[in-house]
Amino acid sequence: MDPRQRPLLRRRLGAFKAMTWSLVALLVLIYAWLQLVRHGEFKQLAMQQAVKVRPIPAPRGLVLDRNGQRLVDNRRALHLVIQREDLPARPEVVASLAEALVLDPAALARKIASYRQAGKGRPLVLKENLDEAGIALAERVRARFPFLSVEVAPRRVYLGDELAGHVLGYVGEVDEELMKARPGVFRLGETIGKEGFEASGNDKLKGVDGQKRILVDQLGTEVANFGQMDATAGRSLFLTLDAGLQKVAEDALGEEAGAVVVLDLRDGGVLAMYSSPSYDPNLFLNRLSQDMVDRYLANSQTRPMVNRAIQGIYAPGSTFKLLVAIAALEKGVVTPQTAIYCAGKKNFYGRDFRCDKPTGHGSLSMVQAIAQSCDVYFYELASRLDIDDIYATAEKYGLTERTGIDLPQEKRSRIPSRDWKRRTYPRDPKWYGGETISVGIGQGAVGVTPLALARFYALLATRGELVTPHLFYGFRDDQSNGLVPAPVPSPRGTHLDPRIWSVLNEGLSEVVQSGTAAANPFVREIANQIPFSGKTGTAQVATFVDKAHYARQAKFLKDHALFAGFAPRDNPQIAFAVVVENAGFGSTSAAPVAAKLVKYWCVDRLIHPLPPPRGKMVDPFAPAPQAESPE
Amino acid sequence: MRERFRALDPRLLWVLLALMALGTLTLYSAGRNTPQAGIWLKQSLWNFLGLVLMLLLASMDPRRLFRYAFPAYLVGLVALAAVLVVGRKIGGSTRWFMIAGQTFQPSELMKWITLLYVSQRLGSHNADTVGRLELFGATGLVVFPMLLIQRQPDLGMALSYLPILLIIPLMKGFRTRWVIVLLLLVGLGGVGAWKVVLKPYQKQRVRIFLDPSADLQGKGYQVNQSRIAIGAGGLIGKGFTSGSQTQLNFLPVKTTDFAFSVWAEERGFMGVLLVLGLFGLLLSRILDAAQAAPTNAEAYFCAGAAGIFALHLLVNVGMVAGALPNKGMVLPFFSAGGSSTLSFFLALGLIMGILHRSRVK
Repeated sequence: MDPRQRPLLRRRLGAFKAMTWSLVALLVLIYAWLQLVRHGEFKQLAMQQAVKVRPIPAPRGLVLDRNGQRLVDNRRALHLVIQREDLPARPEVVASLAEALVLDPAALARKIASYRQAGKGRPLVLKENLDEAGIALAERVRARFPFLSVEVAPRRVYLGDELAGHVLGYVGEVDEELMKARPGVFRLGETIGKEGFEASGNDKLKGVDGQKRILVDQLGTEVANFGQMDATAGRSLFLTLDAGLQKVAEDALGEEAGAVVVLDLRDGGVLAMYSSPSYDPNLFLNRLSQDMVDRYLANSQTRPMVNRAIQGIYAPGSTFKLLVAIAALEKGVVTPQTAIYCAGKKNFYGRDFRCDKPTGHGSLSMVQAIAQSCDVYFYELASRLDIDDIYATAEKYGLTERTGIDLPQEKRSRIPSRDWKRRTYPRDPKWYGGETISVGIGQGAVGVTPLALARFYALLATRGELVTPHLFYGFRDDQSNGLVPAPVPSPRGTHLDPRIWSVLNEGLSEVVQSGTAAANPFVREIANQIPFSGKTGTAQVATFVDKAHYARQAKFLKDHALFAGFAPRDNPQIAFAVVVENAGFGSTSAAPVAAKLVKYWCVDRLIHPLPPPRGKMVDPFAPAPQAESPE
Repeated sequence: MRERFRALDPRLLWVLLALMALGTLTLYSAGRNTPQAGIWLKQSLWNFLGLVLMLLLASMDPRRLFRYAFPAYLVGLVALAAVLVVGRKIGGSTRWFMIAGQTFQPSELMKWITLLYVSQRLGSHNADTVGRLELFGATGLVVFPMLLIQRQPDLGMALSYLPILLIIPLMKGFRTRWVIVLLLLVGLGGVGAWKVVLKPYQKQRVRIFLDPSADLQGKGYQVNQSRIAIGAGGLIGKGFTSGSQTQLNFLPVKTTDFAFSVWAEERGFMGVLLVLGLFGLLLSRILDAAQAAPTNAEAYFCAGAAGIFALHLLVNVGMVAGALPNKGMVLPFFSAGGSSTLSFFLALGLIMGILHRSRVK
């Protein structure tokens, strides 16, 4: 029984021993294969996943108002991203990632594919501007998808919230259509301005991304830095906007839809441009809310995404009468002294055209006609002119062209002509005399943008100079933080006859002193302090049988109220145009808005200017706000 | 006391101490800058407890232990059944009891109890006259706890019971030729099937069958990282605590299943040769004990123990190199863990006792 007496067992155990040694030998061979033969390959792989070249996002330049108040700031933000070299390949991984992050799987897969194709560059951003809940989600998801990482990058903060939404616009990731449309200009994943000045000033504001070679751990966290090329921040710049005046415009329009434009008569700088309802650009920084933009904002009835100041085409109403007056005086069909009788209505081409005052204004000179805004007077002028005369005058004084402001998608005002009618209505190409009569009081086919209207009144204020409205005031000097003014396109002279100008100037002054605008006590009160000039306008949206009928109509069918002019009367500094939609008479709703602008610009600004814009948005990662040194 | 230390076999002891030292160094490097930074200390404590346990067992008469084999086996079965009901669920399987804040895995200890009991039963028979029924019965004694363990589920642990069945060819004989042919066939067939015959989705199914947690992170993410670590180690390794795969956490579960990859990355092929050589010496010495054992039961126990150690070595070292499916089986003295460490020392204590008694006799 003693196994030591059993040679058979000993032999078998001997075989066991041989087998264990061959097992060890087998393992040695496997390791020799991995560690000796394939060493180079694995060394390369180990290096590839630990040493990464990462872009350093460059902060965009800040945007300041003309006094150096910050309108757009940068803050630190965290984004959940996939670095280019970590893009997942397997469809099921992409699908479950999309599910975990509540993203559209097809869109995510497409995006990953295009990023892979594009090679090196900015990472693919899955969720931007993570808040605390977002960070918690990111950490949870990263446990399952180790290729995700969290990137620290600057983000935009629009300090005034809705204050200058349309002017500033917002930024976002460059979309594929734009990249296709302008090949070679943008890189995939790049942040660009999407709207407003962020878009038109993109080249000025954007910086140059840097890059760094770093050692990362399995979670993509930087462990060591082997060297980097710093990012070059975009240059900060000043806008011509005055934040205080802009605030006055915002408050004055309040809940009403409409637009306000104020121009600096010296150079055409835009001192205020507000379109109501406005939007808060901060809400557009997160990619997913693009849905919200498309669904709720762009198609909503109030159209808050439209910058009414440059994209709204409004019948100018009586504010257009000044152009008709110029046309008539230049053609010589009347003199300033020519008396025209208003009986409350007049018949042209077999149709009665009514004046706003049913009892009639009686006999009027041109100054009186402008002050009282007599329609019959200007019907008469229009009847003595051809539509192409009016068009030629409008062309001469810049109303038929885009103003050339440095904002995207400015619309051109619509000034009718025979040619325009032919092109626009091929079925009914003939121009009728009656249409000219309507154009005579700024109704009918004529439509202008508030900006173009403001520019025309700037021309009246400057005795015939046509400025180019602009927002870019100049770059900020990096050392002194002061303004380095940008060159301004010099105004174009239009050879407006000084005699004509003095008649118009007197008319516009009378409007506020004793005419249509003077009916409003607030306007009168301001005008007593600071005499200013301007013209009311009431633009019909629909035609009504009588006033009782009009009163019953829904708000959106009511007339638009306009006021355009300049201030102060005698040594004008600013020109403005105000449109209040569906608000009725220009004198009651638009003129007081203008009066507030004048009051702020000429008085309040100098005594106690409004405080700089402060966003109401709370940013959990923001450093303590830094005091901006006054410049 | 002196007498007790004399029971320790010096050749086995030196190999053990060397492996323990290397394993502890590996755990130190693996745990650095992670929440598990203290794991090498904890493992040292287990090693110390293990050594004490080994010392106690080595100085006992192994035949006394065999007397407790049957009741211990019954208790073990009850424990395996109980853990399914009241055990702690970690990562989808119920393998552990919580005792005083420590997890305890009964299947580890039960492996050695089963070996002990089966050796005792078969050792009481004459190898030439033992009946088929008895052999089938012994097989059943091994398979039954395996089935209980697979319920946890823990396929790796269940498979580690299989070497106990090596006792049967040891008794009844085998042709070396056939064994070699069989091993080659299984080896080549398995690898060949994996590489050539099976389609990718079938492989995926096999993988998911073998390890349900191996999803999402990419096919064999863990093994892939482990292979990179091993391969990047090269001939002499990246240096202690300098392996990028290890220190930057690319290497997964590096304190348990993939501890050997840490060693391979940081100490290279030379280090691998050293450790594999030490394991060869360990196995060899255990089989020496089998040859020297005074009774059949003791010889069978030693042979089975060598089989279990060899299987752990093969599966773990093979798995981390990607040569075998990713199936959790720890590497003795390298992978951190209390239950496994103590049970390995327990077995070694018995083996030392057997060696000691064979010398004394």
